[in-house]
Amino acid sequence: MPKKTFSPIFLQIPVTAIIWSLVGFVLVWLIYSFLYSTSPGGQPTFAALNNLITMFSDSRLFNAVLRTIYYAGVGTVIEVLLGMLVALALVNFISNTTVRFVVLMIFLTPMALSEAIASHTWLMLLTPQGYLNSILRSLGLPPVGWLSESMALTSLILADVWQWTSLPLLLIYAARVSVPQELYEMASLERLSAFKTFRVVTWPYIRNAVVVAALLRFIFMYITIDKILLITFGGPGFATETLGYYIWMQSFSYRNISYAATLSLATLIGATIVAYIFWRVMTRR
Amino acid sequence: MRSSHILGLIGLAIFGVFILGPLYITIITAIKNINDVFTIPPKLIPYADFQPSSEAFDFIFNTRGKYTFVTSLIVASTATAIALIPSLLAAYGFSRYPKAAMNDERSFFTMLTLRMVPPFAVVLPIFLYWNQLGLFDTYPSLIWTYTVFSIPLAVWLLKGFVDDVSPSIEDAAKVDGYGFLDRLRRYIIPILGPALAATIALVWLFLWNEFLFALKLGGSRIVTYTAYLPQLRVGQRVQWNVLGAIGVLGAIPPLIILILFRKYLIRVYLGR
Repeated sequence: MPKKTFSPIFLQIPVTAIIWSLVGFVLVWLIYSFLYSTSPGGQPTFAALNNLITMFSDSRLFNAVLRTIYYAGVGTVIEVLLGMLVALALVNFISNTTVRFVVLMIFLTPMALSEAIASHTWLMLLTPQGYLNSILRSLGLPPVGWLSESMALTSLILADVWQWTSLPLLLIYAARVSVPQELYEMASLERLSAFKTFRVVTWPYIRNAVVVAALLRFIFMYITIDKILLITFGGPGFATETLGYYIWMQSFSYRNISYAATLSLATLIGATIVAYIFWRVMTRR
Repeated sequence: MRSSHILGLIGLAIFGVFILGPLYITIITAIKNINDVFTIPPKLIPYADFQPSSEAFDFIFNTRGKYTFVTSLIVASTATAIALIPSLLAAYGFSRYPKAAMNDERSFFTMLTLRMVPPFAVVLPIFLYWNQLGLFDTYPSLIWTYTVFSIPLAVWLLKGFVDDVSPSIEDAAKVDGYGFLDRLRRYIIPILGPALAATIALVWLFLWNEFLFALKLGGSRIVTYTAYLPQLRVGQRVQWNVLGAIGVLGAIPPLIILILFRKYLIRVYLGR
């Protein structure tokens, strides 16, 4: 029988072609725009050095980066801890599996929704005359400036916690139900305290899920600007201007194309490093 | 019941209120007359506090609002359909030939990186790309962009599914001289049935929910329901009830997918 020679490379050609038809242009354009700046109607001038100097002396960028670390860092910590608590509570305190399943589905609902829907839901709650303040007022309490300069970033974290605690919850719940029940029976025979049982029995099983959930939440809070774009527009002032929103402003409002490309390239390099860390964690097992 | 048990249940109940409260608020806002939306004290219970109104839904069905859902449906479905077969081929390669060129771990990692690309860092060049081609604000531009960015997710999901199919099933077919396309068609795809459905649903869900590209690559002719939401906020008066109603309608497909494909949801993140 004549056997056609087949190379697995062919399997990758369609996706590679599709991806590079767009990503190829994006990369070339970003690198070119980082190297050269073109003023309207003018000649391209070499701008790379200038861009780098601006980048390292841009205090607004520096503050945006700090804010991103705060926003994604605090958000991740709360979401993972809360998700873990809820996942463990679900297993420990609801023994009826049907009830537990229904509760889990309800808890997972927010993460199935679009960021755009979640953002507008929270805008209804947070806006000065919105639901949260009218509830406070009708209870005789003073209204809170949820979207004021001092509170806005915290309010955005709250909205994100609402939507995305589901993710750590899902991952950690799945890991928790994989723990063999005998281990808990042994722990109770040994009269281990609740905390000791968690440390010795539960934690080794859920540790990976916790790490992966934390990485995922951090990455996605870093790359997603939808809530900022829809709830606060980076304001008031610069109070919620994260790295992503700053690049968005440089790209579409100030039209500093060359500088926007520089920052975009820098974040792409950052994203690659984070993806690499994620990859190492995922393949370690 | 031990006291820790009761405390745990109270904690879960508080978390439940935290999750359900905003959902409830969105739903009641959707069925309010615009004058009932923000009041002091708040009107929270239908029929008791306010008379439900179909104002918001009437607005959607009598304006171009209804077409935004059709646009979302067309864009997400077409992009998913285009991405599926190429992604399946690639996933099959990553799963079965991890030593071959372009199928090895490094190539798979490159694919993964694309999933973690911040949209804000690439949206300007993508916008300019379609502008140069004269395709800005058309179906092809948004569909093709969505195809490109859904491939990493599709491959990620499908590789996990193909990994689960034992290669021994194929070995017999290999001996019989079947080429890889025949093996894929006769042995892999039938076994993958439900997994393929899950892949389609989850990739579609991700595109249905997408906002940033929809906002910048569309705008006047091509408006998805997510990109339509901010348009309801310009003008003198924010149409809060319409925002709520779009949210309620837009949430229906995700909720159906969540319930039907809950088993597979975790694979979006873990790949297996």
